[in-house]
Formats: sequence, structure tokens, C-alpha cells
Amino acid sequence: MRSKKYDKIATVVFWAIGTISVLILAFIILEILGRGLTTALNPKFFLGKPEAIKPGGGIFPMIYSSLYLVVLTLIISVPLSIGAAIYMSEYARKGKATTAIRFSLDSLATLPSIAFGLFGMTVFVIYFKWSYCLLAGAFTLAILNLPILLRGTEESIRLVPNTYREASMSLGSSKWTTIRQVVLPSAMPGIITATILPIGRIMGESAAIIYTTGLFIRNIPTNPFSTAAPLAGYIWYAQTEGLADYRRIVDGSAALLLILVLIIYFAARYVGSKYQKKRLPGVDNG
Amino acid sequence: MADVMTETKMEIEHLSMYYGKFKALEDISIDVHPKRITALIGPSGCGKSSLVRCLNRMNDLIDSFKIEGEVRLDGENIYKPGYDAIDLRRRVGMVFQRPNPFPKSIYDNVAYGPRLVGIKKKEQLDSIVEESLKKAALWEEVKGNLRESGLNLSGGQQQRLCIARVIAVQPEVILFDEPCSAIDPVATQLIEDLMADLKKNYTMVIVTHNMQQAARVSDYTAFLLVQVQGEPGRLIEYGDTNQIFTNPEDERTERYITGRFG
Repeated sequence: MRSKKYDKIATVVFWAIGTISVLILAFIILEILGRGLTTALNPKFFLGKPEAIKPGGGIFPMIYSSLYLVVLTLIISVPLSIGAAIYMSEYARKGKATTAIRFSLDSLATLPSIAFGLFGMTVFVIYFKWSYCLLAGAFTLAILNLPILLRGTEESIRLVPNTYREASMSLGSSKWTTIRQVVLPSAMPGIITATILPIGRIMGESAAIIYTTGLFIRNIPTNPFSTAAPLAGYIWYAQTEGLADYRRIVDGSAALLLILVLIIYFAARYVGSKYQKKRLPGVDNG
Repeated sequence: MADVMTETKMEIEHLSMYYGKFKALEDISIDVHPKRITALIGPSGCGKSSLVRCLNRMNDLIDSFKIEGEVRLDGENIYKPGYDAIDLRRRVGMVFQRPNPFPKSIYDNVAYGPRLVGIKKKEQLDSIVEESLKKAALWEEVKGNLRESGLNLSGGQQQRLCIARVIAVQPEVILFDEPCSAIDPVATQLIEDLMADLKKNYTMVIVTHNMQQAARVSDYTAFLLVQVQGEPGRLIEYGDTNQIFTNPEDERTERYITGRFG
């Protein structure tokens, strides 16, 4: 049978493609961890201060910068994207305005991140006179991540069955009460998942932050207006500047970055599923 | 049996309804009598669900929706400018085709409406929840697990939970939009018994495609029909349920109830 033969060939081909992509991923992860894991897990490295001239520096301020940057960026972008998503999915009527908004967002999503970096430098660093600081980086990354965050949030809100909205409205609640009491709680697990994805991007972004947050520091940043040096940017810096033992710093930082992103990813997923389970039985959470 | 009644709770008068340019209903006039059950029957697509949704302005949620004519509750046109649709929906509750409890606990489902009007005291909410579940004939089955999700109940139980949720708002009229189409015959029987019981206190309108159900539960029946595809739904006959089912005036009604079309 010809069709059976083709079926077999197709199965093998797709299986091979799937396997190859998993292998590539595994290779990258193993390569990064293989080169840097021993350095990354050394407390002197991940808790130490960086050295400008001597070899043997650590990267604690950089880790701190990265995490600080993630928190700041999310504080700015999550409320913004939830608000915009509510507007787009619940209030906006289909028409030229929403099509224009959607088109702009999609275009924004395709822009290279260096363009956001230059924009952030022009506006926040120079025009607002903030100089290189966490907040400038956070705003830049918030804009960079807005399209993907908004898309994901909007999608989770749209997935809430319309019957919930109808039920709530038919019991005499206003549209806003319906959104607050029924739509958002039901969409929350999806919104949390949608928020996880950009975290990896914020941690890994270098082009958008090298002109906005700064590249090298020796002490941890104390407030949003402090100059900082997020890990990804520091990796680029150490490599291009050829710091005394840049090979060790770059490999160790890369491994640590990977581990951090994975930890955040699984922690956020865990929180998301916990939230979903906890919402159902309680009395006072509606 | 329905006696001859002149008193009305709601009046639908010369109502036509549009979705954009499409005319879904034309010139419908029906009097809904207090503490009676009025059934809307007719083949699929005749506009009976659209009609019942005009009675609590649920159609307002559709952008292109428009009506002509009037719907009155206690003599007041519910479509007049400035009429409070939210207050209307508290007075005219609705049970939907598919049971749609919120993904919340049984308790929170029933307490949703009372909480909306600002009732916060635990004892007061407790008693409303118990009372409503009792009226909806669900209390005995769920009293031990009020904290469990409403979604864990069976389809029939979910529908009774939705009825309890409506009762908790203390409406005057309850609309049922094919309430039994998604549940099994035993659960259907329970809901029909429940409706007969609720008639003591509430005015009810039920949309159903099941003629036996209309004959069993209702006092008055309205028969709607789209005669030619693309035309609006029209009211063919409205009257005492007994009379509609035993001695209809219109030949089309007779053909429908004897199962010759639809």
C-alpha cells in the first residue's frame, strides 16, 4: 500500500525533526552548563564583588540588578497590559481604532531590541535626565515586552466563557463588577502564565539595556535611579572589554543566567497552578 | 389550570427586534400574567430565545441589537431612556440553556447576587444561601459541602444551583431559556416540579423546544414561527395552554403540536 508507506515515511521524518530540535536544545543547555556550572555554583563567584582590573571577581551585583530589573519591569508593565487587555477584549468595539492599535502592537513586536535601547536612552536617560539607571531600563523593557504581554493577557481574558459574563450580568451586576469578580479571577492562571514568558526575555535582554541601565558596577544598586549592570549586559561587556579572566566570568554568568531563568519559570508556574487550585473552594475570594 | 386572567406582570407590545439589519422578530404582543408560567414554543430559530432575552434586556450586550415597540414591567416601559437595566435584571432573573455556575464554591455562587447589593454579614448571607438552596430543592444534597466548587456538581444539580443563585436575588420574574435542554430526564423532572412549586411566589417565562414540557408546566403558551427562511419570527397564537394543545385556533399551531413540522 502506497499510502501506508507514505504514512510511515512522514512519521519518521516528523519524529526526526522533533528529535533534532530537542537535541539542539539539550546541546545548548549542556554546553552552557558544562562550561560554566562549576564557576556558577562557587559562592565566591555568585556572592562576590566584581573586579575591574584583577582577575577573580564575582557577579553578585549583576544578579541583583537582573532581579531588580525584572521586578521593576513587571510592576510597570503588568498593570498596564492588564488594563489595556481589558479594554481591548471587553470594551473596545471592533473597528478602525482597535485594528490600528493591534497593528501598531504587532509592528512593535517585530522591532529589534536595539531600537528600543536607543529609544530608551534618548527619552529616559538623556531627555528625562535620569542617566543610566534601573528605572530607565525597566521602562524600556516594559515597552519592549508590552505587545507579547498584552497579547497573552488578552487571550486569557477572551478564553473566559461568555456564559460567566452572562450569568453575572443577569444577576444584576455592572460590567465592571463582572470583570472584577468573574472575568479576571477566571483569567488569572492564564495571565500568570502570560507574565512568565517575558521574564525570561527581561533576564536575557542585553541590547535594550546596555544604553539604559549601565554595564558595570561594584556595589549593589540601592534604588530605581541607581546605575546597574544586569547579567546579560555584563556578559556582553566582559566579553567585548576582555576583562582579565573574561572566559571564566562569561561562562559562569551564562550558566547562572540559565539557572535563574529556569528557577523563576518553574516557581511562577507553581504559583499559577496553586492559585488556580486555591481559588475554587474558598468562601471569601469572590 | 389557568383561569381567565386580566392582571399582567409584564406586557410585550408590538415588539420587533433587529440584529443589525436582520429583523429577528416582528410585531409580538404577549401579556405575561403574575404567578403563572408562560411558555414560548416554536421550532429552532423562531426567535423565542431572542424574545425572552428582551424581557431582562440581556440583548443589550449585543452591539447591533435594536428594538421597536415596548416591554413593560408593572406598567413601566423597560426600554425607556434612563431605565436602569441593572435594577431590572435584579427584578427579572434568568436561568440559561446550559448550567453556568461560576468557577466558585456553591456558597459563593448563591451569595454572588446578595453580595452585589452590599450584604456582607455572615449570618445574613448564610441564611440567604440556605433559604435559596432549599427553595431550589438542592439544600439536602449539598448542605455538607457548600465550600466545594459548583462545577463539581452534576448537570442537573448545577442547573438547580443556578436557580438558587437567581432566587437569592429575590426577583419578581424568572426567565428560563430552555433550562432542561442540556440535562437528563430525571433532572428535568426535578426542575419541572420545582417550577410548579415556585409558581406560588414568582412569575415565570419558559422557552422550550419540548412541547410536552410546555404542556406539563405552563399555564399559557405562545407559539412563534418563521414561515419562510429569512423572514422574522412572528407570534402565531397565544392563549391558555390547555386550549392551545387541545383546540388550537390556527392550523399552523395544530400542525406544529402534532409534530408535522419543526
